[in-house]
Amino acid sequence: MRKRLVRTSYDAVGLLVLAVIMFPIYWMVTTALKPGREILSLTPYWVPAPITFDNFKTAMQVPFFWNDVVNSLIIVLTVVVISVVLAFLAAVAVARFGFRGRSAFVVMVIAVQMVPLNALVIPIYLLLDSVGQVDSLLGVIAYYMAVVLPFMIWTLRGFVQNIPVDLEEAAMVDGASRVGAFMRIVFPLVAPGLVATAIFGFIQAWNEYIIAYVLLSSSSKQTLTIWLASFTTQHGTDWGGLMAGATLTALPVVVFFLLVQRQVTGGLTAGAVKG
Amino acid sequence: MRAAGQMSAATATRPRRIEAAPFRELIVRKGLPYALIAPALLVILGVLGYPLAMLVWLSTQHYGLRELFQHQGRFAGLSNYATILADPQFRYALEVTAIFTLVNVALSMIIATFIALLMERVSSFVRVLLGAGLVFVWATPVIPSIDLWQWMFDYEFGVVNWLLTRIGAGNYIHHNWFENPLQGFTVITVVVVWGAIPFLALMLHAGLTQVPRELVEAAQIDGARGWQVFQNVTFPTLKPLLLILLSLSTIWDFQVFNQVWVMLDQRPSQDYFVMSVFSFQESFRVSQYGLGSTAAVIMVAILAIASFFYVRQTVRSIEEFGR
Amino acid sequence: MNPRKLLFTAMGVAVALLVAACGSTSTASNPADQTGTLTVWLMNGSAPQSVVDGVNADFKAKYPNVTVNVEIQQWSDVTTKLDTAFAGTTPPDVMELGNTLVAKYAAAGALNDITSQKASFENSGTWLQSLTDSCTYQGKLYCVPYYAGSRAIIYRKDMFDAAGVSVPTSMDELLSAGQKLMSKYGSNPNFSALYFPGKYWYAAAPFVWDFGGDIATQSGGKWTGALNSSASQQGLTELKTIVSQLSRADKTGDELKQDQAFAQGHIAMIIANGWEVGVITDPKSGDPSLASKLGAFPIPSHVAGQTAPVFLGGSDLGIAANSKHQDLAREWVKLLGGTKFQSQMVTVGGVIPNTTSLVSLSSGLPAIFAAAAKTSRFTPNSPNWANVESANVLQNMLVSIFTGKSTIADATSAASDKITQILNG
Repeated sequence: MRKRLVRTSYDAVGLLVLAVIMFPIYWMVTTALKPGREILSLTPYWVPAPITFDNFKTAMQVPFFWNDVVNSLIIVLTVVVISVVLAFLAAVAVARFGFRGRSAFVVMVIAVQMVPLNALVIPIYLLLDSVGQVDSLLGVIAYYMAVVLPFMIWTLRGFVQNIPVDLEEAAMVDGASRVGAFMRIVFPLVAPGLVATAIFGFIQAWNEYIIAYVLLSSSSKQTLTIWLASFTTQHGTDWGGLMAGATLTALPVVVFFLLVQRQVTGGLTAGAVKG
Repeated sequence: MRAAGQMSAATATRPRRIEAAPFRELIVRKGLPYALIAPALLVILGVLGYPLAMLVWLSTQHYGLRELFQHQGRFAGLSNYATILADPQFRYALEVTAIFTLVNVALSMIIATFIALLMERVSSFVRVLLGAGLVFVWATPVIPSIDLWQWMFDYEFGVVNWLLTRIGAGNYIHHNWFENPLQGFTVITVVVVWGAIPFLALMLHAGLTQVPRELVEAAQIDGARGWQVFQNVTFPTLKPLLLILLSLSTIWDFQVFNQVWVMLDQRPSQDYFVMSVFSFQESFRVSQYGLGSTAAVIMVAILAIASFFYVRQTVRSIEEFGR
Repeated sequence: MNPRKLLFTAMGVAVALLVAACGSTSTASNPADQTGTLTVWLMNGSAPQSVVDGVNADFKAKYPNVTVNVEIQQWSDVTTKLDTAFAGTTPPDVMELGNTLVAKYAAAGALNDITSQKASFENSGTWLQSLTDSCTYQGKLYCVPYYAGSRAIIYRKDMFDAAGVSVPTSMDELLSAGQKLMSKYGSNPNFSALYFPGKYWYAAAPFVWDFGGDIATQSGGKWTGALNSSASQQGLTELKTIVSQLSRADKTGDELKQDQAFAQGHIAMIIANGWEVGVITDPKSGDPSLASKLGAFPIPSHVAGQTAPVFLGGSDLGIAANSKHQDLAREWVKLLGGTKFQSQMVTVGGVIPNTTSLVSLSSGLPAIFAAAAKTSRFTPNSPNWANVESANVLQNMLVSIFTGKSTIADATSAASDKITQILNG
């Protein structure tokens, strides 16, 4: 009974925190549903009156919108899948093995993250131009992967490091091969970390603008971030459209999270550690 | 598994050496780590190697539009460095950014940890809601989200202004939050921290799943209260991750650009020149790529110096853990 | 990198090289035999689709074997996009450039010098002067005027009627009209007779120009800041009087949200671009019920009956210096800049055309803005002008004047010095 009370009060705090953090999001979604006069008004309109879906409709009717969706999906899924795998392997190497050059690798991974990326726009463009990868999804994918890998390796290292080696060794004593022990023991334990890192990679690639804009010129190759920028012209910004666009951009990631969130929460740990 | 179950608290966190293996396994084992890092290394160096080298080279060149189009720099030696380092605004930018980074990192980490701990304790329904909410915030494209915050604090239309006036905290109608840099930076801090929390909280939440449940229970049976459990069991497990997130936070907050730039309608006054704004304004904005590259190199150097001890400590602890 | 990726990249390179080799133009004398691909970059929102389609159709009729790719580019970070495009191996052949950007790219050698071909462009004799000025660098022509936008005062006819005020024809009348409006509606703390955000220098410039002042003058290749001249200071003094009495807008803010503010219904006048009428009355961004209540008049001069010179915004069409299809590019530009399609830009696009001969095609409120455009000026056409803009010299000067932090004499003197320093490099 007392436990239930404690949990309920935690829930109340949790919901309060949620409300505070989500307030700007609530403002964004209602703005997308408001008629123009209510978007920026002297007395706030807490609820759109009347609700209008025009902003969403026109946002999705922009030429090449679905094209942009497909391109963004291709880029992001390729980047996330490959990067998570590569980063995980590298993280395991750093966390589990001693090898010559490990410190150098670690220092490089940290150092690369310190470079402000906007300074690299021109050099990246010239490099990709020299191998004909301007106006190509492949060039963008390669860049995003290179940029996201150091962060991913760095955070995954922390997760892998926390898994005691004893667990693998115990499994090997029981007859499993090294790889098998690894997959059965370590992998589920770092799953929450992998998912969180995957979402990180997803968002980085999904919402990046400047490189995508600079590299991709054909209308058929462009991405959702460029679509989002199209709500600002020399005539100012279509605020309702922009907020509708921003909402549409964020939703797939939330859906992705809801699908995999079961992997993030505990449940997996209790079983394996307790034995 | 029996062996895992017999593991005691003492050995749970200390690694042990693996016994020597036959020669073939030795080759595989010796070669394995290199094979594991090779793909990632190839991608990183393959894509970023040349640009990073070019960045350093550009910092020694006078490289404006004309030079860019002709692919021909004019050698400038270290004069770019002299120009930037001697600029009084550089000193100001450094001071402001240092304080700004400190405040933002501290606030982000503390609040994110609090939220991660909270997420452990709520019912699963609320946990999923919180997670989804955090992801929503995290996934919202940066520029529109900053626009939203700007509206909320707008001189004429600000919801926050309206609310504060309504509850009697003063008259905030027609109040410009950015006239006074201290107030302005407070608002910007709110925006930065708000945007930083989701990643940190979700990472920490994932990290918390690695805290051995039985150790927590053992400590509680021994009579430890919440704070002590945190101190003695949770925190040590979380420490490597906390340090990593701390380092990432510091790097990112040091490089904050959009929040300042967009909040101030792309025309920040000199009071708001944090490092990235200062470097952008002096160089890229006027297509001076040589100068911009110099500013970038200087920023990396500053971060490297600031994190020197952290990096050295990390490398050392890795080697200690090593096999 | 794994082998498959390496192969893929190699294939990509090979394909790209093949395409590049096949894409070069053959310089056949018969237009119908010319082949190749022409790449045109237009900015988002500039030309109506029907105009672009029309130009392409006419072009195709003359050059059936040439493929034209019109690609729409976004305004956010467009200068970075242009910098990389010109630096790379595949720049567009034709691109639309905001008129304040041309000098920078012309000076860097990115654009083709078309001085000798000027006469071949229709209406080149009657091009709007300030657009032509924006295309001219060191006496040579580097682009073709495309379209323009100008500013006038949008006002609430119903408020004017209720306050018994008529359209002012001089600055003095503007002030007294505003005073009457303020006494009628001013008790509402949000009301402004003339809403003027402090940083709105495009709206401040007409006052400087009207009294004979200027931002900077050039003689013998050297620029000198001119805001501290007595004429300029007079204009700013007049403006300060008007702003302090008639405006409740943020003295440190800019004009980006002024249409939304106007749509709230508590403003009688704003200085605005022609297209802002659309923003104010569009249901998605403003208040459609205001449509019937809006009127416009040019910013009056201090001399009764005349109008103040306004800043002409707009775009030009440039041809890349290392475009491989110079002739084709010029032909395409000739079409878009010619009478047929410029007329459509006015009637369909609602903008001001590049030639005074077509200005009369405007009707309704746009006609007022088009008329105001006849008396127009441009910013100092130096490649360093962009640096003055990015250093916020003019905005900071205005803010310190309106907030009272500096006297007009001090603020203009400091600004002039800064401008002199930046423009001369």
